[in-house]
Amino acid sequence: MAVLAPGIQLSASVQLVPASRYTVAQLTAAYNQTRVDYLVPMPMNAARLAEYIHTYDVDLDASVVAVDASADGQILGLAMLGVRPGRSWITRLGVLPASRRGGIGRALLQALLQTSDARAIPLNVLEVIKNNTPAYNLFIQCGFIARHELLVLRRPPGPPASAPAGRVEWLEGADALALLAGRADTPSWITETESITRAGHVQALTLQLPDGGAGWLVFQEQTFHGLPMLLTRLTLRTLAGAPAEVGRAMLGHLYTRFPDLDTQAENVLEADPHLPAFLDQGFVESFRRIEMHRFYGGC
Amino acid sequence: MPSVLVVEDNPDNAELARRVLSARGFEVRHAPDAESGLEMAVDQPPDLILLDLGLPDADGQTLVTWMRRVPALARVPIVACTAWPEETAQRMVTAYGCDGYIPKPINVARFADQIAGYLSRGGR
Repeated sequence: MAVLAPGIQLSASVQLVPASRYTVAQLTAAYNQTRVDYLVPMPMNAARLAEYIHTYDVDLDASVVAVDASADGQILGLAMLGVRPGRSWITRLGVLPASRRGGIGRALLQALLQTSDARAIPLNVLEVIKNNTPAYNLFIQCGFIARHELLVLRRPPGPPASAPAGRVEWLEGADALALLAGRADTPSWITETESITRAGHVQALTLQLPDGGAGWLVFQEQTFHGLPMLLTRLTLRTLAGAPAEVGRAMLGHLYTRFPDLDTQAENVLEADPHLPAFLDQGFVESFRRIEMHRFYGGC
Repeated sequence: MPSVLVVEDNPDNAELARRVLSARGFEVRHAPDAESGLEMAVDQPPDLILLDLGLPDADGQTLVTWMRRVPALARVPIVACTAWPEETAQRMVTAYGCDGYIPKPINVARFADQIAGYLSRGGR
């Protein structure tokens, strides 16, 4: 049983056990049930959750499942912990609707934070969907502070808004990944270089504009039904010139080459100087997240 | 008898839609994910596709994108069904070329009329 903050009583029949005791299929089913009434439910199948665990370095031994020992071990909720050098990431935290308001979410969160602290990990990170007030308040109470507002953007297939200027060079694999060593943005967990590297299928373009503007754009191509469908994890860097102009040209070249592909750009900083370029090229806002940080022992 | 393909991962939501639409005389088929939804739509194009935007294997936007590439589905009305806030839902269905959206939870008293309305207007 997790150690809870003063004043929190968890039913005696509720136990927290390592997520590694369960199959990915079992975890997927439980996760989907926790999200069934969410504003943005984002259900998964087992293959997607397995990929998620791999891509985001989720440690299932450090992740927890809440079960009802008096009901044949029925899963009541779960929470996962991603672990990378110097930081951990709280994700997939959720409680089944019928079991909410009983302290289970807090117990799951505290169990992950205790594990993180026991490993002397200095920084805990999470993202909460904007306007999920109960979850946001729980995180504040457990020592997290809001750091950034992140936008999740989508762009349906289509050609660029206008013919892009400049000269581009296309890169793949290691050559594309090498660009990320020079990134200057503040990536979230899912857009960190580690995530992009583990997800694979990386491509990039480098741009040189006639007026001296220059930059690069790294992206990934995902397939559906075996064919290219979605561009994702777009990372832009302007090396010279105005980011909005350079970004507009880089995205223009991207959609000149891939006019038939859908795009999802996750966790774009609200203050990202390339944001006007995204909007000019037809991206629409899907929803927002708030990135929150907690430092070692802060709960 | 108009046919409706309901692409919805939540079995309770799918069953409710099936019952309401069947009672109105629609032929209803159900796909629980994007992959089976695409296969069923291609095998036997329906008169209308009711699409949950949050699916376990690919999101609804990706599925719309794919369906619009299939000539036999290019003009089939696609109606999104989502719990997203109205402004977001409207923005997304407009951007992705859906024919409209119905908010979740569905209004049982109006649902069949809403579907019939989209069918009478036809696809894009």
